[in-house]
Amino acid sequence: MNTPFNLDEHRRSRPRPTLAPPPERYFEQLPMRMMQRVQPAPTATAPGWGWLAALTAPVRTALASTVVLAGFAAAFWLTPAAPIVASSDALARVPQEQLLSYLLASDQRITLTDLAEVPGTAHATPASTYWQASPDELRELLDQQSADEGYL
Amino acid sequence: MEDQEILAKFRDPASRNVAFNQLVRKYQRQVYWHVRKMVIGHDDADDLTQDVFIKVWNHLEGFRQDASLYTWIYRIATNECLSWLKSKRRKFLLPLNDITAELGAQLEADESLAGDEIELKLQKAILTLPDKQRLVFNLRYYDEMPYEQMAEVTGTSVGALKASYHHAVKKVEAFVTAA
Repeated sequence: MNTPFNLDEHRRSRPRPTLAPPPERYFEQLPMRMMQRVQPAPTATAPGWGWLAALTAPVRTALASTVVLAGFAAAFWLTPAAPIVASSDALARVPQEQLLSYLLASDQRITLTDLAEVPGTAHATPASTYWQASPDELRELLDQQSADEGYL
Repeated sequence: MEDQEILAKFRDPASRNVAFNQLVRKYQRQVYWHVRKMVIGHDDADDLTQDVFIKVWNHLEGFRQDASLYTWIYRIATNECLSWLKSKRRKFLLPLNDITAELGAQLEADESLAGDEIELKLQKAILTLPDKQRLVFNLRYYDEMPYEQMAEVTGTSVGALKASYHHAVKKVEAFVTAA
């Protein structure tokens, strides 16, 4: 049977239990470490921008908005306007052969007849013009167009 | 430096650092060993001791001197220890026995206890106590703190503390006898 253990008769290791002591010089260094921990860390502000930190929050917000708007305005004014080319001038510079090739090769089934322009009726409505012409007159007018030019 | 002098100097921003340095020098050993007895390992005790003094720095200006500075610092240290043990248990989902086993393993690794079988058994027996009872045991047995002061530190009545300590002693004696 085990001998009953009596705490009052036990050799007391006061004021602390028999644990390993902390590292050497621990209590000499702890006050210094504590002082380092409670000191506020220096704010790392880039030189030249320190004045920003001095501004109040609303002023900083207003300043940021102004800078963004100024950026948009500058971008708008500095962007060169797109050159406006008259579509009719551009078409006029395309050789007629290329135009004919393009139109006849397209899926729109355009024939030379569709492209024929009757002198004196260019600005009239096609219906009113053709209704007043006989088939012979139309054929004669179409024959005046060079077929070779069209297929080249 | 007396506590009143430390407090007066701390209130003056010009001498605040000097006062705090004196405070740490005065109480560091008591705080460290109070914490160390609860968490066993030095590294954890070091972290918690620093946390205690950080709290002291942050709240000393509002200290109303309802209790002595010594008692107030002890109360902060006690709460830090109990919170640490609670969070450690919650973090790792450890039941009571596992955290006891973990702290017991640290005891066995402690060089100072090597070869002292009875002392090792005693320390292991103390570890089997619930955290708050262990705290009461440490304050009474090792620090020999008066019950009235213990009541201020723990926020428990003197009668309850006496009963808690009495039961703790019986449990410890039974554990060491059976071991």
